[in-house]
Amino acid sequence: MARAPRPTGAPEPARLGAAAKLGLLLGLLAVALCAQMTVGRSPGAAGVWEVLTGSGEPTARHIVVQLRMPRALVSLGAGASLGLAGLLLQSALRNPLAGPEVTGVTPGAVLGAVTATGLGLAGWESPTAVVVAACAGGFLGAGLLWLLAGREKGDPEQTAVYGVLVSAVLAGLTAVVLLVAPGELGSVVQWLIGSTEGRVWEHWSLLWPWALVWAAAACALAAPLTLLRCGDDQATAAGLAVGRARGAALVCAVALTAGAVSAVGALGFVGLLVPHLGLAVFGADLRVTLPGAALIGAVVVCGADAAAQSLSRLLVEGLDAGRLTVPVGALTTCVGAVLLLVVARRQGAGPG
Amino acid sequence: MIRQPAAATALLVVAAGVALCLGTPYVAPHRLPAALSGDGLEGVILTELRLPRLVLALAAGACLGAAGLVLQEALRNPLAVPEMIGVSSGAALGVAAPLVLALSMPAAVVPLLALGGAVIGGVLTLAAAGFGRSPAAVLLTGAAVSAALQAGLLVLMVLADQLDLQLIYRYLLGSLSARTWDDVSGLWPWLVVAVPALVLCAPVLGVLRLGDDDARAMGVRVRRARLGALAIAIVLIAPVVAVCGPVAWVGFLAPQLARRLRPAADARAWLLWSAVWGALIVLCADQPARLALAPVETPVGAWTALLGVPAGVALLRVRRPAGATRPSGGSHSPRTVPGGDR
Repeated sequence: MARAPRPTGAPEPARLGAAAKLGLLLGLLAVALCAQMTVGRSPGAAGVWEVLTGSGEPTARHIVVQLRMPRALVSLGAGASLGLAGLLLQSALRNPLAGPEVTGVTPGAVLGAVTATGLGLAGWESPTAVVVAACAGGFLGAGLLWLLAGREKGDPEQTAVYGVLVSAVLAGLTAVVLLVAPGELGSVVQWLIGSTEGRVWEHWSLLWPWALVWAAAACALAAPLTLLRCGDDQATAAGLAVGRARGAALVCAVALTAGAVSAVGALGFVGLLVPHLGLAVFGADLRVTLPGAALIGAVVVCGADAAAQSLSRLLVEGLDAGRLTVPVGALTTCVGAVLLLVVARRQGAGPG
Repeated sequence: MIRQPAAATALLVVAAGVALCLGTPYVAPHRLPAALSGDGLEGVILTELRLPRLVLALAAGACLGAAGLVLQEALRNPLAVPEMIGVSSGAALGVAAPLVLALSMPAAVVPLLALGGAVIGGVLTLAAAGFGRSPAAVLLTGAAVSAALQAGLLVLMVLADQLDLQLIYRYLLGSLSARTWDDVSGLWPWLVVAVPALVLCAPVLGVLRLGDDDARAMGVRVRRARLGALAIAIVLIAPVVAVCGPVAWVGFLAPQLARRLRPAADARAWLLWSAVWGALIVLCADQPARLALAPVETPVGAWTALLGVPAGVALLRVRRPAGATRPSGGSHSPRTVPGGDR
């Protein structure tokens, strides 16, 4: 995000400190969570408040505690994971277009999970196996890209091209697996696009330790990654083992993506665009920007889920349709596409 | 180079023979002429099932290959394939939407719907990219537009019930199973429009690939030429997608093959050869699609995606001289052709 050069002598506008920005984001996250908790049909805001303060009728209590809370938490965790993973990938590969979706990581994770489900090794009753399979697939995708990129890892444009192709191959493989095991198609389609429908406490209890461990690892990598963003030569001159730092960052990114994919599916464009937002808001110091990107990711996915739910309600009432849910992934993909268009227009307008 | 046409013809004959002979029931090659003229069971199967499928595979492949070359030359980027500029996904959305929403459509309208979807996808891409201002912007916006259209498709698939879902899924991968002469005859009116347009635009393509400035210096109105090329590509792709679904990555691989095998030729020759190689690719990929998991048929698009992308990547990699730092995927890199400069 290029900023127009300020004429010398003009006073710097008052900027919010990083802590204030993080606080603001936390506030936004609280708002998004509230929206998500109250957006459903039967218990409104008052009902939810009653349940949270201890009273309330059993049905409302069940809906809030067993359905809405885990769903909100899962979307929060997945959004944070994807935001972190995207920023890690973009920093490690020094490529602003390296989202998990276009480096083969997300398609690989989807392939792993779909294969495991299709072979009957994993199912919705054994989510642990799904995480493991998604992880294996994510590493497969990243490894393929690594092999293909070969000696030209430093060339971002080339890496992006290979990433798109690797993703295409993996998506083709997923399609074949789905054809061989068509019984899974119905449940998997929701998941190819990314949905938080019907996530329960089990998903959350599986997601948070995984996400927390890898997020901590990612934050520990913040300083070396900031150096890496400056370029391999500078990083080496500053005494950093470039290859090792990059490898560690990639492992973190793949693990975070795999966790998120196995929880909510392939949410489009979150991992690609949230890091850009994070960098625009917090600047290039990853020690602040990494937590910031995680928060932004959580806000984006929570907000998108609340919006998707209210949109589906509006559509059901407006069209008088019996069953119609807009998966949150559809919303993030469409909004993300519009954002990407804006980015493309800016690039097209600029020189080169 | 007299060898290449001979090789292509031999490959074509072998693949066509395989397409006609193998399957259930097996028809021995020497009995083909008799079976084709006779009206026994074998004759009916050959003339009503295998022959239209063969013709359709050839026509679809030729259209996709030619469209791929037109797009790649007009946008000067080897990744400018129908799948990535929103045209294929738009057409697929146009066909899948009435199926899911249970609107009954006469068969004649389906290509029009596909065309409408393809035009919407393509125009969205172009409008968002500022009508062909810069090739790089077109490609990036194309990726965004096709992602959004894919999301729409997936939403439709979430709504669909299990039976529709399998139908749509199969269609979305690109399948030639159970296509008849009706489907073939739906294709040719579009070809009547597209082929003369292709012949007319081929010389301009050769100029466009020199770069915007050079093309302008030679008197080509670049933006208008690029728009025209895209329109032709849409007319080529939409009817194919309407009939067979978006058979993936043929438009990527066929032009690569054409360029690789005839490095010294110009855009006109490449256009012809991409159509030929596209037809051969689809025909060859349709054989494992029919036979590999018999009696279950796999969609031909799954095979072209699985085999086509790695092959295309290999071609992209080989063409670059070792150690070159110039990205061949970049939109601004001139296409360096080994031995092409005379």
